[in-house]
Amino acid sequence: MATAFFELRGISKYFAKVIANQDVSFSIQRGEVLALLGENGAGKSTIMKILYGLYKADEGKLLKDGREIKIDSPKEAMELGISMIQQHFSLVPAHTVTDNIILGNVHGIIDHKLFREEIKRLAELYGFELNPDDFIRDLAVGVQQKVEILKALYQKTNLLIMDEPTAVLTPQEAENLMGFVRDFTAQGNSVIFITHKLKEVMSVADRIIVMRAGRVFGDIKRAETNELELSKLMIGRDLNWVTKEDRQESIDQEVRLEIQQVTLQEKTGVPALKDISLTLHKGEILGIAGVSGNGQQELCEIVCGAILPTKGKILLDGEDITERKIRARIDLGIGYVPADRSSDGMIMDMSIAENMLLKSSYAKKWQKRGFIDKQKLNQYTWQEIQDYSIKAPSPETIARGLSGGNQQKVVLAREVDNGEKVIVFDQPTRGLDLGAVNHVHQVILQERAKGKSVLLVSTELAEIFALSDRIAILYKGEIQGVFNSAELTTEKIGLLMAGFREREVKSDAG
Amino acid sequence: MINLLSRTIMMGTPLLFGALAEVIAERTGMMVTAIEGIFLMGAWAGFVGGYLSGSLIVGFLSAMLAGLLVAGLYGWICIYLKQHQVVTGVAINLLVAGLCSFLYRVIFGVPITPLTVSPLATIPIPLLSEIPLLGPILFNQTILTYIIYFLAPLSYFMLYKTSMGLTIRSAGENPEAVDVAGINVLTVRFLTVLLAGVMGGVAGAFYSIGFLGMFTTNIIGGRGWIAFAICFLGNWNPKGAVIGTLAFGFAEAIAIYMQSIGNSALFPNELFIALPYIMTIVLTISRKSFNVPAKLGVPYLKEN
Repeated sequence: MATAFFELRGISKYFAKVIANQDVSFSIQRGEVLALLGENGAGKSTIMKILYGLYKADEGKLLKDGREIKIDSPKEAMELGISMIQQHFSLVPAHTVTDNIILGNVHGIIDHKLFREEIKRLAELYGFELNPDDFIRDLAVGVQQKVEILKALYQKTNLLIMDEPTAVLTPQEAENLMGFVRDFTAQGNSVIFITHKLKEVMSVADRIIVMRAGRVFGDIKRAETNELELSKLMIGRDLNWVTKEDRQESIDQEVRLEIQQVTLQEKTGVPALKDISLTLHKGEILGIAGVSGNGQQELCEIVCGAILPTKGKILLDGEDITERKIRARIDLGIGYVPADRSSDGMIMDMSIAENMLLKSSYAKKWQKRGFIDKQKLNQYTWQEIQDYSIKAPSPETIARGLSGGNQQKVVLAREVDNGEKVIVFDQPTRGLDLGAVNHVHQVILQERAKGKSVLLVSTELAEIFALSDRIAILYKGEIQGVFNSAELTTEKIGLLMAGFREREVKSDAG
Repeated sequence: MINLLSRTIMMGTPLLFGALAEVIAERTGMMVTAIEGIFLMGAWAGFVGGYLSGSLIVGFLSAMLAGLLVAGLYGWICIYLKQHQVVTGVAINLLVAGLCSFLYRVIFGVPITPLTVSPLATIPIPLLSEIPLLGPILFNQTILTYIIYFLAPLSYFMLYKTSMGLTIRSAGENPEAVDVAGINVLTVRFLTVLLAGVMGGVAGAFYSIGFLGMFTTNIIGGRGWIAFAICFLGNWNPKGAVIGTLAFGFAEAIAIYMQSIGNSALFPNELFIALPYIMTIVLTISRKSFNVPAKLGVPYLKEN
């Protein structure tokens, strides 16, 4: 084997006393696509941030072409030809494409015209459709990612690191990205991408590094492995995956929740939701698919009462609840698991028990002579901790100290109890590891089996397909169509998510 | 009327110094809430330096140094120690207010008649000052006004046409983008705050040695806050700051004019003195859209 392009040797990194990386060693060759596979918190991003100079390693060495190098800042990484695209893009929304690309790469007076031309040429070279004068805030996420890539290319990158690059893309955009990766590496450049998606790994990577708990658990050529082996390496145990066969197919025909022609006008005049009509039956899971930011959160908040629609009606069991406040809706049995648990779902500095009480603090059952009945609350919370196998020593444990998965279980436990009739799940498994994802899915299916109605919003198509009885696609605040889940293919749903209408999809994609 | 407009330009000069300083710093995400204290410290140091040395140049240099020190303290606490910008600013303003009157007494005791220096003279510019109407308004001013004629367009050019400006604007919108581009966000912020300190110091000294020729403890009287308000009424843009400054300078000129003609029968004098402050409130409420830097007032925390 030729000398490696870049090599990491025995890298360790500690945050306070937590081990983020331990004795991590691997290399990347020129022209290679390397996948860094692992669950959330496996230390994939950390090790790459060390290579990019954002973090400093506590132990270990970095080598380029066999010679030891020091990378203390992103600037030094860039000088060595390394670029990294963060999971959350580091673009300035209020600036143009050009301004973003040249930030940090120019000195003195800026000749805008010259740079605009240069960027235009570079974009054309790689077949990116980009207008250098567009403002980032006006661009779709997929296009923003192209700007990030272009920024890296502009810096004459030879090693491009991408952190979860497909998380925000439609299947078609992801396919385009993979095409770019192949072209880019064909010119002798290298790509490392961080992911937890097995499919992607199998479709584009030459070699796979599997990480778990901050360490490398596998360094395998793609041709010599399969998805099953990789998932075992990644998780370290077997999981029972939810499959279609696990579900009873019968759906009650009785309507539970009706959303009638709901429109939500934003202050800016642009509707966040446009003329939405959906019906949710008893014992049904209705999946809402779509790229994030297309009105999902607004839809959820309209159902749980956090915002009121500009037009339209919401009916629960035939009763008009459009004007009902949040608290009234909680009492009526609508539960809501918000997408961002840390800001909307719980109070991090309070205990698990107090978080359990959040949405029913006024309820008589928690009171004893005007004070909180601590004993009863702690008993109840302890029961929930057992039922949901939340890893916490006591009900008094502060929420912040729990892992993301366990925090989510706390919110889940509370909302499943609140939502006696309807439960709204907004991205219930985002940021969770596979074990926790599996648990959340089991809970959703159990609640469905009890006859509750579930509105499931997710940007993970696999999740939507695995759980939903019917699927609605949301694009720019409009419903692109509602389908039985068997009617849809990944390709078709991808086109709908990208804004194509059902008619066009039929004629274009068959 | 010409006199009034000339006064507008004159009284607008220090406000524009302060407002431009504030615009540049706020674009990086730093509200310089210590601006009132910087003004006051500048006024004090300008007077002390000028009085003791007999040279206004020394006075202004002392004011710049004093402004720099106050801004440095503020920047160190807010940027490196990540403390809250408003709370820190208020604390520093209170500190400076006490410190100035204390130090003034330590140096000069309690003089029976106020100590004075002769303030900056106006310098009519040959030819230009002879232009009818505009000449006496624009070109019969002190050296500070002529400096600001250059500084205003220069700061606009710097913010929008140079790499430095791009970095400054990006630091206030998305500091992370600046960080991954290999530029130290904290350094960028600290330097702009120091610059604001220097400019603010000059602005403060205008009131003591550029205009009144003496120092009193309430000499600034909220004008630092007015510069602060002009920055956001001007939409964080030097052009807007110029327009805002003219409005406030005019209000102040009217107040001074009314005071001088002693017309207190029709309107109470206090009303005119209060005019700039009332205007601040009215304009703040009436502004509809703001172009606030997204990360204004948010400390930049980097994990690690």
